[in-house]
Amino acid sequence: MIVFWIVAALMTAAACLAVILPFLRPQASLETGHDVEVYRDQLAEIDRDLARRAISPAEADEAKAEIGRRILRAAENRPGGTERADSSLTRIAATLAILLVPVLGLGGYLYLGSPAIPDQALAARLDANPSTNSVEELIARAERHLVENPQDGRGWDVLAPIYLRVGRAEDAVIAFRNTISLNGPNAAREAGLGDALFQLAGNVVTAESREAFERALGLDGANPKARFFLALALAQQGDTESAAGRWRALFDDLPQDSPWRGTIVQALERVHGAPAPQPGSGPSAEEIEAAADMTQEDRAAMIEGMVAQLAERMRDNPDDVAGWQRLIRSYSVLGRADDARAALQSGVEGLGAESSAAQELIGFAAGLGIALPESR
Amino acid sequence: MTVEIGHLALVLAFALAVVQATVPMLGARLGDARLMAMAAPTAMAGFALVTLSFCSLVAAYVTSDFSVANVWQNSHSLKPMLYKVTGTWGNHEGSMLLWVLILVLFGALVAMFSSNLPATLRANVIAVQGWIGAAFLLFILATSNPFVRLDPAPIEGRDLNPILQDIGLAVHPPLLYLGYVGFSISFSFAVAALIEGRIDAAWARWVRPWVLAAWVFLTGGIAMGSYWAYYELGWGGFWFWDPVENASFMPWLAGTALLHSALVMERRSALKIWTVLLAVLTFSLSLLGTFLVRSGVLTSVHAFATDPARGVFILIILGIFIGGALTLFALRASELKAGGIFQPISREGALVLNNLFLSTATATVLIGTLYPLVIEALTGDKISVGAPFFNLTFGLLMVPLLVIVPFGPLLAWKRGDLSAVSQRLFAALGIGLAIALVSLVFIDRVSVFAALGCGLAAWLIAGSVTDLAFKSGYPKVGAAVAIRRLMGLPGAAFGTVFAHAGLGVTLLGLVSVTALEVEKFVTMKPGETLDVAGLVLNFDGMMPLRGANFVEDQARFSIAGADGKSLGEIVSAKRVYTARRMPTTEAGIRTFGFSQLYVSVGDPTEDGGIVVRVWWKPNVTLIWLGAVVMMVGGVFSLADRRLRIGAPAARRRQSERPA
Amino acid sequence: MTRKQKRLTVIVGGLAFLAAAAALTFYALGQRTSYFYMPADLEAANVAPGERFRLGGLVATGSIERGQGLNVSFAVTDHEQTVSVRYSGILPDLFREEQGVVTEGAFDENRVFVADSVLAKHDETYMPREVADALKEKGVWQEEE
Repeated sequence: MIVFWIVAALMTAAACLAVILPFLRPQASLETGHDVEVYRDQLAEIDRDLARRAISPAEADEAKAEIGRRILRAAENRPGGTERADSSLTRIAATLAILLVPVLGLGGYLYLGSPAIPDQALAARLDANPSTNSVEELIARAERHLVENPQDGRGWDVLAPIYLRVGRAEDAVIAFRNTISLNGPNAAREAGLGDALFQLAGNVVTAESREAFERALGLDGANPKARFFLALALAQQGDTESAAGRWRALFDDLPQDSPWRGTIVQALERVHGAPAPQPGSGPSAEEIEAAADMTQEDRAAMIEGMVAQLAERMRDNPDDVAGWQRLIRSYSVLGRADDARAALQSGVEGLGAESSAAQELIGFAAGLGIALPESR
Repeated sequence: MTVEIGHLALVLAFALAVVQATVPMLGARLGDARLMAMAAPTAMAGFALVTLSFCSLVAAYVTSDFSVANVWQNSHSLKPMLYKVTGTWGNHEGSMLLWVLILVLFGALVAMFSSNLPATLRANVIAVQGWIGAAFLLFILATSNPFVRLDPAPIEGRDLNPILQDIGLAVHPPLLYLGYVGFSISFSFAVAALIEGRIDAAWARWVRPWVLAAWVFLTGGIAMGSYWAYYELGWGGFWFWDPVENASFMPWLAGTALLHSALVMERRSALKIWTVLLAVLTFSLSLLGTFLVRSGVLTSVHAFATDPARGVFILIILGIFIGGALTLFALRASELKAGGIFQPISREGALVLNNLFLSTATATVLIGTLYPLVIEALTGDKISVGAPFFNLTFGLLMVPLLVIVPFGPLLAWKRGDLSAVSQRLFAALGIGLAIALVSLVFIDRVSVFAALGCGLAAWLIAGSVTDLAFKSGYPKVGAAVAIRRLMGLPGAAFGTVFAHAGLGVTLLGLVSVTALEVEKFVTMKPGETLDVAGLVLNFDGMMPLRGANFVEDQARFSIAGADGKSLGEIVSAKRVYTARRMPTTEAGIRTFGFSQLYVSVGDPTEDGGIVVRVWWKPNVTLIWLGAVVMMVGGVFSLADRRLRIGAPAARRRQSERPA
Repeated sequence: MTRKQKRLTVIVGGLAFLAAAAALTFYALGQRTSYFYMPADLEAANVAPGERFRLGGLVATGSIERGQGLNVSFAVTDHEQTVSVRYSGILPDLFREEQGVVTEGAFDENRVFVADSVLAKHDETYMPREVADALKEKGVWQEEE
């Protein structure tokens, strides 16, 4: 920053110098009559043409005579001595000019420029310490790594669920397919593929996505994601009763602290006419699990980044119940109980303490073992 | 920091341009040497600052600094390095910055090489350059700032339009702008002369090299643009009479006229007022071209990233400069002393005729280009004026001009002898008629018009050679003497010969392609063959490939002669650029002599084949080679010592050299 | 001839030339230009079969049909009226449903527009200006950003 202003000052000074320069050295007097020189040159050219016999002597004489007449005319027209300069006007003009450069230059820049923003060359951004990277930068790092090593199964395995969470469904489908073909299928990968296809189709469980969930269930009969979505498929086909039955069964099978329980509660509410929750970001438990394969720093940074981003988003949109639920769940999964409590409190305030949404949020948090701080 | 330094440099350059535009002009008015002397250093410092600014933008592109909005919108980190650099001017903001960079470059060159100009003229010329520079720098800063930042910075850019990811972008815009903007110098000289109310033969001598240089660049720029469109758009056309093409063609026509009228003014002190007007009009047409291209008011196949809102700003600049210059002209033209009188049959007479034809041709192109705008404004009807209009009007005007071209250089100044010149051109006329006859009788499918076109082309080339032979004294003197004399001829003489012969070469290419082109339009399955103009094209099959930032399906064809001898292969491809998901077609081109085989693939058909369009384009490269020959002529002329800036000074230097 | 007469001859000759050039230009403008219409304009325009004009609009969804070999048919719409278009040739790279196009050609007897050119665009965000203006008037299309 300091360096920038020093360079800026030097540049401005140099620009001013260009304006002052004529006042620092004496100026030659005015010259006129260049046209006479041109005519002399033409005379010489006629001689050359004549020597080469390109023109006849008669033509040459005629041309010379005419050029001679023009030289006389040019000499007549030459203006007599130059006017005296008005020295005070000169001084005013010069002063204004010298002032104009820094005032207009620096002033204009301060109005238009963004001196506080540093250069952000992509390579430098990606080489920086991962903990300072944003989620997008971390994803870009992983992508760059995978462009060079497309056979790195672990890389795809990490990236796939992250794509899913940030809403890049199309990339997620490719990444899940890659990890399945490179690492072999397992329930989490197949279920992830199903989820990606579901999102790609605009939150519809298509035939293709259903097959993926069924394969996941074949690999692990208890996979909650696959069970949840297969139930959702029934709901989307209109069979809400069987869907609700399956969800309730899943709910009972799940351990107390499972994040899926909240989702199921919501889904059940939805089939009974409650508004649909907003799809949003924030890491899920699977993702945190999947991130286990990353290096310690990268993983921590990624999760922190996602949670921080979600928290920020919630500050701007405090009336999104689903978002608050995700944030509280994330904090509780990370073991940051204090933050979870704080988020719950902000959420309740944001939604309005007496609102039914706030009550729902308190109920959801209670399911995770988080309660409002006692101070109230 | 680099980016912000570039931004600051641009603002400082604007401040300097304001000083450059005002103070020297005041100095010239007051006769104050110091105020006038401010012109050159401000022009040079302004050039240094804009260069710095431009370089910092290039640096942002090279390092993929997506905190710069312009880089984010037009670049991608995976793009090959060459296209990262050229992408700098592959968008509105960057191309305007390049435009201004070239403008201030010319300003700095004038400042550097004008020490032999009268001080007041020099101050006024540089000041007028300053006005143009200030106006366009303000335009950039106010409406098209390439240094707008994004915070936080996106992680990946939106990529450059794939059509522009081509070597053509590296060459075409810089050349074209060197031409366009080069005419600003003659404009500034003209306005300065009008301000002073004095103009003489020396003026023409100072202006002509700048006009010549701009003309050479513009010729190259137009030819390059035409070739680029030819191979990139995948439909084998090289000139569409599109508004954007016309926008570059009009300054070229006017500049060609200016080149010739300046010659008359320099040699005979005649046509002064007309030459000044032409200098003003030529750059006005350049500005109009910039406006048409940047604003997108006319539908063009070549328009990229246009923005009507910014167009209004350019329109205002256009109005002020053209209106101001023409008003000044109207006020001062009567004060300029009219020049000498001459006979209609003379070199001057021929050049006047040239100007008459060229300026009329410029006017028809201008009318055809702007007519849709006028009609829409008047009646609300949307119409288009296309190739048929231009071919009829422009073509009819060009034929007589081309017929008289060989006469001009052979006529003497002041009073010429038409019958003597005609006698000298007998041989050329014979060659022209013979060629026309030969093409009519011996080559298939040639119509009378095409035969006459070939004859006209031959007449132009033979006429140019005649001119050279006559100047050398051949056949009156022996070959040895003639060659010695040829060596002694001034560069400008060769310039004329090459420029006129180049015209003939281009015409030959145009006529050949128009009359003899073979087009085949078929569906092919792998293994099938196609006969085109004596060549056999065998479709080998499709091959998927992955490039740096695209995937493509290559259609590969092997070529064989009629006798079955293999002549290599030709590849056309369908590409999809991944970042924008934008498909493009890459044409396959193979050159045989001056002719080309051009293959372009279309969509696959349901039965496993592919649509293929194949052209045999006889002598097509002559169109652009002719332009190159014209440029060579321009360079010869420019290298002529007499023409260089300060020819008198150069002469003095030479005499100082020890014998 | 006196000098004055000579001068007069030259001036008269020049003016005659300019007059001829102007006459040629306006003749050509009358003969060699084509009108631009959107499908909804066509009723009022009353275009005869065989009369050349340019037709602009959006490619109607689901209308693209590839026939034998190189023949393609599609429909151009402005969401008020729709016109069927027949074309034989390679379509531009950016020819897609709901994209703006400008085609040039003429109606046949069955009021099917037989196009001999389909305007290629270079830029996926670029909309032919006439089409953009007309669609904006109808409120069908909005400019991005």
